[in-house]
Amino acid sequence: MATLQLNNIIKDFGGTQVIKGVDLEVKDREFVVFVGPSGCGKSTLLRMIAGLESATAGDIKVDGKRINEVGPAERGLAMVFQSYALYPHMSVEDNMGFSLRLAKVKKAERREKVLAAARILQLEPLLDRKPRALSGGQRQRVAIGRAIVRNPSIFLFDEPLSNLDTALRVQMRIELARLHGELDATMIYVTHDQIEAMTMADKIVVLQDGLVEQIGSPMALYHHPCNRFVAGFIGSPKMNFLDVEVREASREGVSVALPGGDCRVPVMGDGVSASDTLTLGIRPEHLKLDDEGPLTGKIVVIERLGGATSLYLEHGSSEWILVADGDVAHRVHDQVRFSFAPTCAHLFKGDGEALTHLHRHPLVDIDRQENRAKPT
Amino acid sequence: MTTSKRWIPLTFKVTLLTLLLVWTLIPIIWMVLSSFKPNSVITANTPRVFFTPTLEHYASLFSSGNSLWPYLLNSLFIAGVSTLIAVVLGCMAGFGLSRIRIRGKQHLAFWIISTRMAPIAAVIVPLYLLFRYLYLLDTHAGLIVAYLSFNLPFAIWLMTAFFDDLPPDLEEAAMIDGATKFQAFRYVVLPLMTPGLVTTAILCFIFAWNDYAFAQTFSGPSTQTIPIAAAQLLTQTGIDWGKLLAIGTIVVCPMAIAGLLVKRWLVQGLTLGAVK
Repeated sequence: MATLQLNNIIKDFGGTQVIKGVDLEVKDREFVVFVGPSGCGKSTLLRMIAGLESATAGDIKVDGKRINEVGPAERGLAMVFQSYALYPHMSVEDNMGFSLRLAKVKKAERREKVLAAARILQLEPLLDRKPRALSGGQRQRVAIGRAIVRNPSIFLFDEPLSNLDTALRVQMRIELARLHGELDATMIYVTHDQIEAMTMADKIVVLQDGLVEQIGSPMALYHHPCNRFVAGFIGSPKMNFLDVEVREASREGVSVALPGGDCRVPVMGDGVSASDTLTLGIRPEHLKLDDEGPLTGKIVVIERLGGATSLYLEHGSSEWILVADGDVAHRVHDQVRFSFAPTCAHLFKGDGEALTHLHRHPLVDIDRQENRAKPT
Repeated sequence: MTTSKRWIPLTFKVTLLTLLLVWTLIPIIWMVLSSFKPNSVITANTPRVFFTPTLEHYASLFSSGNSLWPYLLNSLFIAGVSTLIAVVLGCMAGFGLSRIRIRGKQHLAFWIISTRMAPIAAVIVPLYLLFRYLYLLDTHAGLIVAYLSFNLPFAIWLMTAFFDDLPPDLEEAAMIDGATKFQAFRYVVLPLMTPGLVTTAILCFIFAWNDYAFAQTFSGPSTQTIPIAAAQLLTQTGIDWGKLLAIGTIVVCPMAIAGLLVKRWLVQGLTLGAVK
């Protein structure tokens, strides 16, 4: 049971501000993911929560109590490092039980707790091994086991899967989501991989240059990005952007000029007037191959993934990415027509801010906890 | 690559290594061998490899009026204590230099090692004057301080490099696990530093054990070390080759044996961070 609050957190490294005032509220048992490009300050923020870095200004509160001056040992948190940081000279069992040994827990009780954690992570046969005799995935599990044994109020993960190969990463991702359900603990997870963020988070915090760009559920970020950065960062392949001229704008929608004719996007046009230039954003998976479509493009590259096909299209001076199903028979240099549903389109102002959609997507407020399978 | 192309560099390597081995080992083997020869065989014009071995030189070293024991004990004590202090202080200073974020850290580290760059001859007279005022001449403490002045910067420099190679994640993980800074150092850092500590200790010990210049200048009748004892055998009336070779063997062998015993750690320590 733990909540976390960050109030106007600032971190200054020798005159350079790397965190420029972050506010965040993490609810009890929530899985929060910090995501952003490298150097955005997400790991620094996590290390400040852990107590490994001090905050230059602002309050860090756990369960409403300010912990800025509390050392990492007394914060009662557990952290899984990107490098796993297993103690190389200790066996798996000693690694996992180290926190209990420091807390002077009796050997028998220590073993019992380590065994319980090992059982959850299927580590029982490995307890006597040294970390160097383990594979990457096993080391990762030991690092998680060490965190579980500590029975922390909040779990912190610093890019824990980035050293694993793709198959293992997918497996560990599922395991972590399952673990969150089983342990019912508050977890904060840092990653630069937006797929990890989308699949595991109850709430995603998108960071850039030490500032929070947007906080919201994965579906909120996907369907209602608040600015062009978030729109481009969330979703793979990246959203297509095209500069367009406004024909007419009102509270009921904005009409923009496209090469194949005007298009009316259902967003609030406050502060926008005719002949303004906006940026139209449309996700590759929302573009459709359509023989009657208003847009045309020449295929430059085709990526066939089996289940889906990515088409890179040249359209005038701009390049579009279109994700179609796996059975597309087109070839490079083919000319194709395509279209999109205006409800899926986004419009961004010159400063990058998104115009608000008239209708909220029905999945935006769905609680991930309700989706989660209850442990039997 | 074809076999013949690979074969030439291999032959070259083997030849080079053999030459190096002969160059290094022959004098040592000859010294050890000769220390067991009777005087007549040592000074014979035709060098002899086969002879009846004798322990007379060793026996006379430890039994005659001027026994080697005090010299040996002085050497062990002075080299041991100066090494211990250098390693303990070097370990702590190295940890600090490696971990603490301060401005101009690399300048500080360079200044520390630069004190080691002065030749012994340059510091020997100033140190002599200093020791005379401080009544440190002919004391064990004097020689220990003299060796420390050279070994401590070296130990700090070496240990800093070892700590730099140890990812700070490990200490941080320990602190998150509930350890104090000292506990993280004691339970996590120190056990992983064994190769570094052993390497540093051996190199410091060898410097103090082998030194002649400092010992010759600062020691007196009660604090002379083994190299001084060896030098005393070079007299105006002649050289006692048998005893000299026996002392040489006594000086070299412990170091060689210690080096072999900790070879694994020594190699690991000296190449730490070389391959990553």
